[in-house]
Amino acid sequence: MRAGLPLLARGTAAAPLAPFVHLTALWIQVTGTWCNLECTHCLNASGPREPWLRPLDAATVRRAIADAERLGVKEIYFTGGEPFLHQEILSLLALSLSVAPTTVLTNGTVITAAMADALATLARAASYSLEIRVSLDHVDPELNDRVRGRGAWAKAVRAVRLLNERGLVPIVTATEILAGDAPEGAGTYARFRDFLLAHGVRKPRVKILPVFAVGRLEAPDGERLTEEALEGFDRGQLQCAETRVVASGGVYACPILAGLPGARLSDGNLEASFRAAPLYHPACATCHRTGMTCRNA
Amino acid sequence: MPERVSPYRRIAVFGGVYSNAHALRATLDDARGRDVDAVFCLGDVGGFGPHPDRVYPLLREAGVRVLQGNYDESLASGRTDCACGYTDPRDNHFARISYEYTLARTSADNRAWLGTLPRHRRVQLGAHRLLMCHGSPRVVNEFLWESSTPAGLLRRFLREGDADVLLCTHTGIKWHRAVGDGAHAVNVGVIGRPENDGTTNVWYTILTATPDLAVEFVPVRYDAEALAREMEAEALPAEFVETIRTGWWTTCLENLPARERARGKF
Repeated sequence: MRAGLPLLARGTAAAPLAPFVHLTALWIQVTGTWCNLECTHCLNASGPREPWLRPLDAATVRRAIADAERLGVKEIYFTGGEPFLHQEILSLLALSLSVAPTTVLTNGTVITAAMADALATLARAASYSLEIRVSLDHVDPELNDRVRGRGAWAKAVRAVRLLNERGLVPIVTATEILAGDAPEGAGTYARFRDFLLAHGVRKPRVKILPVFAVGRLEAPDGERLTEEALEGFDRGQLQCAETRVVASGGVYACPILAGLPGARLSDGNLEASFRAAPLYHPACATCHRTGMTCRNA
Repeated sequence: MPERVSPYRRIAVFGGVYSNAHALRATLDDARGRDVDAVFCLGDVGGFGPHPDRVYPLLREAGVRVLQGNYDESLASGRTDCACGYTDPRDNHFARISYEYTLARTSADNRAWLGTLPRHRRVQLGAHRLLMCHGSPRVVNEFLWESSTPAGLLRRFLREGDADVLLCTHTGIKWHRAVGDGAHAVNVGVIGRPENDGTTNVWYTILTATPDLAVEFVPVRYDAEALAREMEAEALPAEFVETIRTGWWTTCLENLPARERARGKF
């Protein structure tokens, strides 16, 4: 782990637990925290320098997909970092799509026309749906690039256009990091929907994520869940009850906390990670409060 | 528990009535002409359409064996929402209008009846052991779309459910897949609204033990214009009426996977 990344001061022993119900979603942290952008609110502090969480080699990914198929997975997600920086991303996606519907979470900046063509070919040949989620934090270029970096807006919007032209109906994923800068009366969702329609995207798909106090926004003194706070709440509703993440170093409880020691549930064996997960992190309180899921819907 | 001791030979199965009495009448008439032993509904009697109480006598008179869907469960328990599982605020807006309308106009007797319905049903069709559910065997409002439901998951459902054939609905679009070793999964479709293909007809399913399982999807044409006018008279959203008149979905699109979404108009 890279020096300077905040480690949690408190252990997980006293944390309430979320049961493991079944494996719905397998996440693959394919490029670890290696990314060409360095967004101010990044959940796992990804960036272009030496990643604190290493990319996965293709053999590890293939093994995880095979295990997940055997265990009856419903959906597979590729994330990072920026997944399209992985040398073998297209062959891994092809394998994944032969097993389950597959989603890639991307910042869109490296999706060229040639890559969009390759993805369209992959999607047409696949047994299951290929979903591309492109991150964008604001419809306004200047506001967006303030958190995502100069030029990020133009490249992401180009990716949305390229994918849309090829019938891949991308999902635009936005956080509410800039919600305070919204024009009066327009919610984040409506703003993106209108933006996409205005840009010729006739089938607008928008997913909104809350802002988490993790990664670059880590707040060591953030609220943590307690047994009392969870009284009467069905913990099986939390995404860690049906999600596991394969990342460098093992299998983790959820995509938000992948790579953090407190969320590590096995050393790499998927089935061995099918056990209760400690709700130890302030991000767990955000999940509980907002009812959010990292899944597409 | 099996429905009856002797196996069925041919059955009709549909989902999602969605208060569409016109389509229900047409479906039952069609099924009567096809020599079926029994008719099954996989749940979601109300929602979307007008005058919800009109479909209950039709279901009872025809002896339809009905499962409890998420909408039925919500109405029976007086929940404040339909548990449709949307997160998109636009979808939730329309789902709320529809649910509040339906809840206010479904009689206490009919709501109580919905509360008595089973969640699952096991039926013997020839040599085939059928497991019927609404969304999935594990979650009542789980969406099993054709392009987003892995064969491995279906085989797991069948293994855990000790069955050869899985029947579900909930998504609104029919499909059938053979998953090996004589096992099958069938989403039987819905009769309450068209399936986002630009035609106004709806679909139900005929299953026959031949002895190999035969799955036939049957289109049902009904008086969609009469339904549309009733919806307008009840001041239901224009977006819903448009779907009935055009066959394209206009709302609740959030859960469609890319492949199904790409086929639609919106």
